[in-house]
Amino acid sequence: MTSPLFEIDSLEVAVEDKQIVNGLSLTLRPGEVHAIMGPNGSGKSTLANSLMGHPRYTINSGDIRLAGESVLEMAPDERARAGLFLAFQYPTDIPGVSMINFLRRAMSARRGEEIPVREFRQVLNEVLGRLQMDEQFVRRYVNDGFSGGEKKRAEILQLGLLQPLVAVMDETDSGLDIDALRIVSEGVNTFHSDDNAILLITHYQRILRYVQPDHVHVLLDGRIVESGDASLAERLERDGYEPFMERAEERVLTS
Amino acid sequence: MTQATLEVPADAEIKPDELRAQVAELSRSKGEPDWLLAFRLASLEQAIGMEWWTGQEESWRRTPRERLPRRARVGRVAGSANGTAISVPQHVFAPDAHAGLVHQIDGRVAASNLVEQARAQGVIIKPLAAAARENSDLIQKWLGAIGAPADRYEAFGRALWTQGVFVYAPRGAIVDESLFYLITQDVAQGDHWHYTLVVAERESQVSLIDGGDADDRRAELPEAPLIHATVELIAEDGANLQFASVQRWHRQTAAISTTRGRVGRDASIRVTTAAFGADLDKQRIDLDLSQNGGFAEIRGLFVGDGKQHIEHVTRQHHKGVGATSDLLIRGVLTDESQAVQYGLIRIEPEGQKTSAHQTMRNLLLDDGAGADPIPMLEIEADDVKCSHAAAVGPVDPDQLFYLQARGIPPRVAERMVVRGFLSEIADGVPDEHMREVIDELVEIQLEPAKAAT
Repeated sequence: MTSPLFEIDSLEVAVEDKQIVNGLSLTLRPGEVHAIMGPNGSGKSTLANSLMGHPRYTINSGDIRLAGESVLEMAPDERARAGLFLAFQYPTDIPGVSMINFLRRAMSARRGEEIPVREFRQVLNEVLGRLQMDEQFVRRYVNDGFSGGEKKRAEILQLGLLQPLVAVMDETDSGLDIDALRIVSEGVNTFHSDDNAILLITHYQRILRYVQPDHVHVLLDGRIVESGDASLAERLERDGYEPFMERAEERVLTS
Repeated sequence: MTQATLEVPADAEIKPDELRAQVAELSRSKGEPDWLLAFRLASLEQAIGMEWWTGQEESWRRTPRERLPRRARVGRVAGSANGTAISVPQHVFAPDAHAGLVHQIDGRVAASNLVEQARAQGVIIKPLAAAARENSDLIQKWLGAIGAPADRYEAFGRALWTQGVFVYAPRGAIVDESLFYLITQDVAQGDHWHYTLVVAERESQVSLIDGGDADDRRAELPEAPLIHATVELIAEDGANLQFASVQRWHRQTAAISTTRGRVGRDASIRVTTAAFGADLDKQRIDLDLSQNGGFAEIRGLFVGDGKQHIEHVTRQHHKGVGATSDLLIRGVLTDESQAVQYGLIRIEPEGQKTSAHQTMRNLLLDDGAGADPIPMLEIEADDVKCSHAAAVGPVDPDQLFYLQARGIPPRVAERMVVRGFLSEIADGVPDEHMREVIDELVEIQLEPAKAAT
């Protein structure tokens, strides 16, 4: 078996003194797609943001390792340059900063050197075409006035340009109509290779029809309560989160 | 807390008889027509009869008045150099291409020219002193025609000016490119009084960019220089007048400006100012919309550092029916710099169907920085649309996180957000070269390692 690409090790995360993630462990190997599924309030967004190093979240204990290296001491920008990517659930709009300027800076940062204009244009047009996005799109300000679908596509555009080692996708499927979901999913699939890994964090299983997960985990109360293969997602679709919640309660009572 | 300094006898330096003699000598030495001498002397009498301020006025209450000299010195008379080009380094704001340009240093003329396309239409841009001789009828008609001076600085501005520019677009003239008026502050010469007069006759279109820089930015001056700029903008019916002012005065300067605009029927005036230099910069902008269907816009941008105080006192004054006005001020404050925006929308009973808006936004980059935006509405008409918004706060941490999550270091990310924040105003400046200059000045002003103290 290949060595792990991304490890979350007994992670505990708090927001304003309230612990939300309660000892979560997960290992992604190169080429793998993992899905974490959980209902509202299970800690999905806290997990996603803390992996990227959002200052609002405090890591109480545990570790996060990218290609064997702990990223806990790394600032968000260092994590990104090392190859970690977060597709935001709610991408922030930044009026006055053009997408094209932003994308070029981000790509140059990821590479560690200025990307030549010509090459940038070429790669950009290729990825834009794949996502069926108009070239004019990058003339707009970052996420400013974007529709929900446009925001998610812009996240996938960045994924395609930055070529991270590990992509954490925070509810990328939410708010997308079926066509947009298909295009976004294709973007994720095109990005996916044997050298990278994807962590899909989602409430619903519908994106999993387009992006096939190798492993599915159920997140409840900041813990993984069940892991399995793709069939676990189907079970969730059929039975909902209820059965897992009951079991989680039992566990809390007996512990 | 600053009361002690305010007790200093304010008018110690105002010696009416001496001033009258000096103004007469100034006018004579410049070879001015008699009516202009009379204009200066009448303005001087108005000034003498006024107070600098009482401190009770809303428009003065928040000004650190101890940093603004109460002084009316007659500037150096630059000999016979009116119209004769002198040799000075090119102004750093000077564009490669332009429709017309006047460059002055300490009242002397460094450059003055106008492209044929504009000249053929009867357009004028020239030093005000030259215009007073060569276009006497126009100057006599328009100088100060905007109304009586509102306070002592404005009145002294009319009496004491030693440099200035006159821009004129005759009826129907269209100048596509911007005209430039560049001033180099001669820091060794102390106080400066400038006078800018722009007249856009009916259906004409003209844009003036006013740029002020200092000849020696590093000099340690024994006394803070005072710069007062009088700006009078006249847009006759159907005319479109654009005025943009960018200043980077010497950092010890106390700058105060009085910009007044009169918007004709279905005419427009757009004023954009960008402030970078000076210790104190107090900008008064008063746009009068007494005709129907007029449009007025005020855009203010600034980046403060050190202990700078940057202040905008504005009035959008509606009297005509169906006129529109909009104010947007965006500033960035670092170190211990402070900003004040006191913006008044005043709608007279006749001003029905008015649409008037104002937005003031201040980004604070350091704990010591502060801003006090005060939007005010005085509305006496009942069928109007008005809005105002004011904000003071740090850079949005979510915006920073988003950029950082893409590998962009925090310092660069902050710059991007700040420049984006300012770009809405910078992008509206009607000249690409000037937009680049503003961009550079923003960058310089944000540089924490800069030499300014």
